[in-house]
Order: sequence, then C-alpha cells, then structure tokens
Amino acid sequence: MRQLLRRLSMLFHRSRFNADLEEEMRLHLELREQQQVATGLAPEQAHREARRRFGNNTNLRERSFAAWGWGWLESFVQDTLYGLRSLLRSPGLTCVALLSLALGIGANTAIFSFLDAIVLRSLPVKAPSQLFILGDGDEDGVTDRYGSTTLYSYPFFSQLRAKNTVFCEIATVLSFNGEAHGTIDHRDQMENLSPDLVSGSFFSTLGVEPVVGRLFTADDDNTEGAHPVTVISYAFWQTALAGSPDVLNHTVKFADTTFTIIGVAPPGFFGITVGHAPDMWIPMAMMKSLPAHYNGYKDNFYQSNLIFGRLKPGVTHARAEAEINVLYQQITRGFPDARLNDYNLSHLQQAHVAITPIATGISGLRHQFSDPLKLLMGVTALVLLIACANIANLLLARSTARAREFAVRQALGAQRLRLVRQLLTESLILALAGGLLSIAFAVVADRMLLRMISGGPDADLIPIDVSLNLPLLGFSLAVTVGTAVLFGIVPALRASHAEVTGALKDGRSNANVATRNVLGKVLIVTQVAISFVLAIASVLFLRSLVNLTHVDTGFPRNGVMLINMDSSVLGLKGEDPRMVAMFSEIEERVAALPGVHGAGFASFTFHQGSWNTSINIPGTAYNDAVNIKHNVISNGYFNTMQIRVLAGRSFGPQDTATSHKVIILSESMVRDLFPPGVNPIGRHIYIGKDPGPRNDHEVIGVVKDVKFGNLQEHHQYIDYIPNPQHPWGYGTLAVRYTGEFGAVSKDVQNTIHSINRNIPINRVTTLDRVIERSITNQTLVAQLSTFFALLAVFLSAIGIYGLMSYLVSRRTNEIGIRMALGAARSSVGWMIMREIVLLVVSGIALGGALTLATNQLVQSLLYGLKPTEPLSLLLAIVALLAIALPAAWLPARRAARISPMEALRYE
Amino acid sequence: MKPNDIPPGSLSLLILNTLSRHGELHGYEIAESILHASGDVLQVEEGSLYPALQRLLVQGWVSAEWGTTAGNRRARYYRLTAAGRKQLTAELSHFHRIYGAITAVLQPA
Repeated sequence: MRQLLRRLSMLFHRSRFNADLEEEMRLHLELREQQQVATGLAPEQAHREARRRFGNNTNLRERSFAAWGWGWLESFVQDTLYGLRSLLRSPGLTCVALLSLALGIGANTAIFSFLDAIVLRSLPVKAPSQLFILGDGDEDGVTDRYGSTTLYSYPFFSQLRAKNTVFCEIATVLSFNGEAHGTIDHRDQMENLSPDLVSGSFFSTLGVEPVVGRLFTADDDNTEGAHPVTVISYAFWQTALAGSPDVLNHTVKFADTTFTIIGVAPPGFFGITVGHAPDMWIPMAMMKSLPAHYNGYKDNFYQSNLIFGRLKPGVTHARAEAEINVLYQQITRGFPDARLNDYNLSHLQQAHVAITPIATGISGLRHQFSDPLKLLMGVTALVLLIACANIANLLLARSTARAREFAVRQALGAQRLRLVRQLLTESLILALAGGLLSIAFAVVADRMLLRMISGGPDADLIPIDVSLNLPLLGFSLAVTVGTAVLFGIVPALRASHAEVTGALKDGRSNANVATRNVLGKVLIVTQVAISFVLAIASVLFLRSLVNLTHVDTGFPRNGVMLINMDSSVLGLKGEDPRMVAMFSEIEERVAALPGVHGAGFASFTFHQGSWNTSINIPGTAYNDAVNIKHNVISNGYFNTMQIRVLAGRSFGPQDTATSHKVIILSESMVRDLFPPGVNPIGRHIYIGKDPGPRNDHEVIGVVKDVKFGNLQEHHQYIDYIPNPQHPWGYGTLAVRYTGEFGAVSKDVQNTIHSINRNIPINRVTTLDRVIERSITNQTLVAQLSTFFALLAVFLSAIGIYGLMSYLVSRRTNEIGIRMALGAARSSVGWMIMREIVLLVVSGIALGGALTLATNQLVQSLLYGLKPTEPLSLLLAIVALLAIALPAAWLPARRAARISPMEALRYE
Repeated sequence: MKPNDIPPGSLSLLILNTLSRHGELHGYEIAESILHASGDVLQVEEGSLYPALQRLLVQGWVSAEWGTTAGNRRARYYRLTAAGRKQLTAELSHFHRIYGAITAVLQPA
C-alpha cells in the first residue's frame, strides 16, 4: 500500500525525479573524473574513462525509471499519442470508421433494449418462472360464450381458488382495465386515471411487498361494495401525490365512492401486462363502484377476467393442466344458471384450458412488435457486420500502406512486440472512441424509438423501461473491439515479419499484396451481399407501407376530427333518456357550427375495438363461426364519415325506441351471407342465435364496406343499429370539418361543455392520425429498415471506394507502363472497373440467393405484395448499383487520368 | 560471466550491506566502498548502481535525502530503513546458506 503511494507520488513528480537522477549521476561522473585525474590521467582521458566505467547514460535513466514499474504507462502514453496523430492524419477514414462503429453498435443496443423490454425481460416479481395463466392471456373484454378458456367470471375464480390443489396462490385481474375519471382528495379537477381491478390475492400471488402501508389481502375482496380501498403505484405516488409521506391519508374518488389509499406498490411493479402501467389497484369487490358500473362480481357468466397462479413446487405442468381442466368442467356445469343445451355443451366439451407460463408477462405490445423488433434486430446485426467489415478493410489498407514505415522502424531497432502493440493501441483507440459515440447514439435512438413505437409525437409514451441494455452494449463493444484488434493485429504481425530489406527495396509490390487483396475482396463481396439483402427488404417494406396508405378504407380519411370523451362520469346509464337526449343535442349543435359539415356518434370508430356476435338469417343455415361486428350509431354518422348508402335508406327520426327495430348491413354481408339474387331490404334477421322478437331486426339499408379494426383486414361483416333502439354510452364523436383544426376543435369542445360542463374530454385527434397510428409497426419497420439499408449501402460504397483507391495506388506503376505503351485511357479505366464490377455482381448474386432463402421471414410483415416480386428485386439492384458503381468509378477515373511520365517517375 | 563481474542479483545485497556498515552514503561513495572492500576485485558497471538504488527506494528498504558533501556539493544520501535492515538479514542468511552449500560441493573429498 505504501509502496503504491510512493510510486504514485513519484509519477506526479516526474520532472523532479528526472532532475534529481540527473544531478546525482553528474556528481558521480565528476567525482570519478577527479579521482582519475588524481591518479595521473590526462583530463581528456579521465573524462572518457569515467564515462566508460559508468555505462550508457540514457539506458540507465530508462532503467531507473522502469524500476518504479511505470514503464508500460509511458509506452502506452506514447502509443496513444502516436495513434491519435496517425488517425488524425486521415480524418475522412477515421470519421467513417467511428461513425460506422457508433451507428452499428448504437442501433444494435437500442433495438435490443426494446426487444428486451417488450419480449424478453422477466416480470419484476418473486420467482416469475412459477407463474402460469389459464388460457393464452391474449383476449380482453367480456363474453358469455360457453367454452371460454382465457376469460373467466369472478364466481368461477372464487370456486377455482377454493378447489384447486396445484397452485399455492391464485389471483385474477379484470382483462379490460381502462381509464376512468376520478378525483384525488378534494381537488377541483377530475383526472384521467387508470385503475386495475384485481382479486385480494393479486399481490401475494405475485409475491411483492409494499413500500408504504399494506397491500390487499383476501379480506379486502369478500363483500361486494364493502372495500373502498386502493393500492397506488409508486410512479403515481411520486407524480400525482408528489411522494407525500402521509400518502395513507389521501383518497381517490370514483363516481360516488371515495377510496382510501392503504399502500404503495414497489417501484417498477406494474402487474402482469407489459406496456400497461396502472395508476392504482382496486379490489374486484368494488367493480360496480367504478364509473362504468361493471356488474359482474356475482354474475357466473360475466366472463371478463384473466386468472393466473403460482404453481406449487413439485407440481408438473401436465398435472396442473389436467386438474384445472377437470375443475373447469365441474365448476362451469355446476353453476345453477348454466344453460346446458346441446349447443353450449358441445362448446364446453371442446374447450381445453391450456396453462401458459407468464414469466415475461402478457402483452399486446408483444404481438404487435415482437416480429418487427426481431427483424430490426437482425437488420442491425447485419449493419454491425458491415461496419466491422469496413473497419477491417480500413485497418488492412492502412497497415499495408505502412509496411514500409514498419520496415524502416524495425531496421532502426524497434522491437517487433512494440510495433504490434503500437498498432493494437491504434485499433483500440478507434474501437473505444466508436464505442463511446455509440452509447450516446443508443441513448438518443432509444428515445426516438419509444416515440415511434408509441405512435408518434402527439401520443402518450408507452410505459416500458427501455434503459440501455448493458449486457448487449458490452457484447457489441466486444465484437467491434475484437474485430478492430484482429484486423489490426493480423496485418501488424505480417508487416512486422516482412523481410526488412525486401520492403525497403520495393515499397509498392511485396508478397502481402495478394493475400490482402483476397481478404479485402471477400469482405467487399460480403458487404455487397448483405447490403443487397437489406436493400431488398427496405424496398419491400416501403412498398408495403405505400400499399397500406392507399388502401380503400371505404370513407375519405381526411377532414375528420375525433373527440374522445368520458360520459361514464355522469353516473347515468346509456339508456337513460337524459343521456340519449344529451348525445343528440351535442350532435345537432356541433353539426351546426361554422366549418363543420357533419357530426355523428358511433360506438366504434376506426381501430377502436368491437362488439361482435353471430347472427341468424332466416332461410340460410345458422353458422356460429361467422362473427358480425355491430356498431351502434347516431343518425348523422354515415353522413359525417361519408360512407355511401348503396340501397335502402339511412337512419332517421322515425327510428325510435318504440318503433320496430331496424338494421343496416355492409355490402359484403349481403353478398356473402344472403342467398344470391335476394333483395335484403325488408327482410328480417336476428342478432345472435335465438330467433326471438327481442333480436328481430328489419333490414332497411345496405352501405359500402369499410375498414373497421385495421387497414390489413379483409372485408368485414358489419351491421349498424340506431342508438335509440340500443342506447350506447358513447365515447367518440366524429366531426367532418374544413378550416383550421385548432379553431374548430375549440368550438366543438366549447359546444359540448355548454351542453354539459361535467363531461371530461380526454383527447381530440383526427381520423388520419388514428389510421397512421394503426400502422405504426409497418411505418417503424419501413422507416428503420430503409435507414439501415441506406447506411449499409453507404458503408459498402465506402468499402468499395477504399479498396479501389488502394488497388489503383498499388498499380500506378503498371498503369503508367501500359499507357506509355499506348493503352487508351478508357481501357485502363475499364481494367480497373472490371474487377470491382465482378465483385459487386457476385455480391448481388450472393445476396439474391440469401434473399430467396430467407423471404419467409418477412412475409408476415408485408401487405399486398410477395417478397419475391421482381420489381422490388430490380429496384434494389438499381439502387445498389447507383451507389456502388460511382464509388468504384471515382478511383478508376483517377487511374485513367494518370500521366504515364508521372507514374513512372513516381517510384 | 565476464571476469570480475558480480553475480546477478547480488548488487542489492552489496548496497544494503555497505549502507548498514557506513550509515549514510551517496552513490559515488557506495561504488567506491564496494570496490575497496572487495580489494578492487568486484567491478560494478558504476551506472547500474542507480537503477538498483531506485528499486531499493521503491521497496522502501532505503531512504534518500539531499545533503552536502565534504567538497560542498549537493548530493543524495542513502540510508538503510528498518525494513531494509530486515531484508539485509534475510538476504545475508540466504546467501550464506547457498554459498556454504556451493563451497561444500566444491570441497575436495
């Protein structure tokens, strides 16, 4: 320890050290000289003798310094400085190298951070690998269908919890926990909050501990309406309540119920759904007290919940699944109100409950983004590969060009090891600087990606943790540093083995050239092949995106504003006459505003979910597999959306709650589901299977097909029902307008508030933004793959340029001779070009083969075209040639312009 | 080994021993002292004294201080530290053991 201190203090007093040593040695020499003079030598001789006996002064000083163990540091500093200087001597190449490293590593790290957050990372709970969900966890909503294996009723859960012997704990969460307006403490403004309804066993099943207060127990969830308590998330505590220490004295009020905060969940905890971070959790027993007044706590067939549990140690998956399936049949059939007709029984019999592990949680985001992210991960990995190839080429070229320098240095006595270390240091500087840049790039890219995935600049950010993934950053750094070291050191070893005299005699043509050329050419072919694959992919994705944006939606996309409001806070049922009246007043008064050409409500506008059931058309065979989407609309909706009525009429004031029930069908429904040649107008159909009067509707019109859930879907069977006959607590008003968005939006909101000032308006957006957001993942893939493909092609072009310049410089002499002997400039240019054209063409051929072999990977992400389409291939070839050939042409032209005399004199 | 070279590694033993016998010395004095004590047999490459002294300084076996010579010149004086004394004892006993063993082997039977 003290030794280290002495060494350090010496290091900081370098100049003093040198001066002291110098003085000491001088004294010694002088004293010896005097002594020699005293023995009778001439002063001249005495001086020489003293020096001889003392030894090599410089060497001794170096050894004295080395005694302190800092020798490596000194040569390291020297190497670093020298390396920096020599990198700065070719700033262009250094910049390209750094940039390709930064983009390569950075993009990899950023994409992987997302892949990790969305697809790979385990839930932040106790032993997540023991957690399993019933079914696949991939549904949300409510169903009364028999044989539902993902959604279950709360009574089913209670019985399963009591009877099963395979889970040590089991919990449930409402599958469609949405937003609700509530009031924190006694604040004036209601806030848009996101509460999750969960069973009392929720937290204990997941094995989390509170930060403050306590979490739910089974006792918080046993009597309907009797447990007005809530556990809030850590983030909600920190933001909405400013981390207040007396958090347990605060309340949140939903509808008429004031919930007391009893605890705070640990930071980072969000439940089991990745990408959904609720503000708070409320016991299932309180579901009716939320503004939406869900009435399912005691309903045996209000199947709305996900059920998951922690498997007992030692219980196998197969045993658990077997027992759960036995209990499933037993409990469902045992409900006193179970309607066990043949139809329902056949569905129950076919039902099989799968038990699915949820160590990484469940996530809709995953379905949407896991393929695109995996694809982009592959793309960025390829870009990294190209970047590495470029670095390799760059370093190879540099070291070959410096063969002569090394020969000179070796001739002057430099140690081989020292030369290798020097080159290694340069490579490391390059790699590390690139690495640092890449971290900065990754941080920026992470933010941009989160924005893109969340759906654009005006969307709420998805709550996922995408902080940099350190293991992957480490891995990418290791790969690039490894490349740099390998390709830095191989030529260094070769160069340092070079026969000194040979290299000195002839700087331009030594034996290394052939080997280097082969390696360099292999690298170029690889780069071109990979770039070509990426170019094809990006062309495909771009064309697919263009196809999507030109899809016929059935309505004009532009000029429609969507106003999202929360009418549930009013505490009125949809069928309440006051609600019906309020909606029609809003519709009428908004439609009358200047700049507004129509306004209409719908239970579902584009990309908003659906309510679907089967229907029964008298005269045709009933088919329960055909699902029809139902949309409850106001009278102005078709007009607002400009959905054309093809036959019959639209809804009007004559369609009231008491008039006979009417329905309008989409054209493909009529085409596919009715017997051919039948005029549907005036015919009756039943919603659902039962042909009872309650479900009886008369068809009064046919409208054009529209896109409903997304742009990729095929013809949807949609029918429309007038609001008075099936009142709906609307959430979205569509407004067709012209003029400035901000001004019209303000007028519309004012009008709504003048009718009822208590309705909170969540957000106002436009239909085309919603459509754009529905293809976020295609946009993401198209934009990013194009970016990376351009990057790849650009990097390859630089690689080609580098190789060509190198070849030309090696052959200056030869070219000079050829031209002196009468070769035409054009033929010299072609001689150089021929080589590179051959490389590019082989690269393209190789890339083409790769594309054909892997085209299945991208098929699922394409719309309206096949991966092997010739036009895309052609576009990619043209794009690649357009960039690669000029990169090769520049050095070739330089070769062609060489003046023969100059070239010959040059040597 | 050239004639009269000192065996490798023994330079530090010689320096330590010299310092223990004479107390404070500067570099030239150490070289002279070793030369004389050996009856002019041991020829040290005089300069190599200095790297050796630096090694001893790093180990903390000697300490150095600037002082003035009899001829009124500035000089760096070295002295043994407590750790240096211990090291000397250790090296001496090691040397004697090895030397004794070698002598025994070379002894005519």
